[in-house]
Amino acid sequence: MARLSRPRRRPDDEERVLPLVNVVFLLLIFFMVAGRLAASDAFEIEPAQSESAGASEARPQKLLVGTEGRLALDGEVLDETALLARLAEAEAGRLTVRADARVEADRLVRLLGRLREAGVGDVELQTARP
Amino acid sequence: MPGTLANRISRPRAKIGLTSLIDVVFILLVFFMLASSFTDWRVIELSAAKAPQATTSVGFEGAMLVRVRPEAVSLGGEAMALDALEARIAARLETTPDQRVLVQPVAGVTTQRLVDVLDRLDAAGVADLSLVASGGG
Repeated sequence: MARLSRPRRRPDDEERVLPLVNVVFLLLIFFMVAGRLAASDAFEIEPAQSESAGASEARPQKLLVGTEGRLALDGEVLDETALLARLAEAEAGRLTVRADARVEADRLVRLLGRLREAGVGDVELQTARP
Repeated sequence: MPGTLANRISRPRAKIGLTSLIDVVFILLVFFMLASSFTDWRVIELSAAKAPQATTSVGFEGAMLVRVRPEAVSLGGEAMALDALEARIAARLETTPDQRVLVQPVAGVTTQRLVDVLDRLDAAGVADLSLVASGGG
């Protein structure tokens, strides 16, 4: 009797977790396919919401504009002088700007003006769909 | 008895345990859950034509100036709501399609508010748009 019941119990145990494994596999595949892997930002940004803006086009560099005057270029926190020097040196000309929704617009516009003087004429402002 | 022992030993060898597989899958799941982002990024183009202009009085002639305030927007000094602004700009664009529009956020306006106004101007069909810093910056 012991001989018969013991091998039978093992498949039973495994069969009980099979639905769980199925669900976990499905979740895994969902997150792999639906999510996009991206390097995390240097600091937390709450992007502005916009309904009509166009689809994103990849740019070589990404500038983060946070509250309290924080700036980061490609994940590296910089101050404005260093940022402008870096951009003028790189001669990229193209930039993605991801600004926090709470940043004062006038500050952003002034920053864009200085970016333009540093040779970055082609700028896109990233927003999020609500 | 020897048969049982053989069974016990040979079973796990013949089949790879499910538990370790589940462990790995769980770890992968947690990784992808934490690492992937679902934000649907959109962009507003601020390319050369739209980027803030250096103050050249030539470029500002005949342009419509939209000042963005925290509660309202003003077009040429006249305060109005966003809907009215969109209607006015759209009406103007019918006669002059290449009408230049300057957008100037005053101090205290957030980027969100500016983006809302840019959205409306985009909906009205403005092609030539410039951002201007307040205070003649």
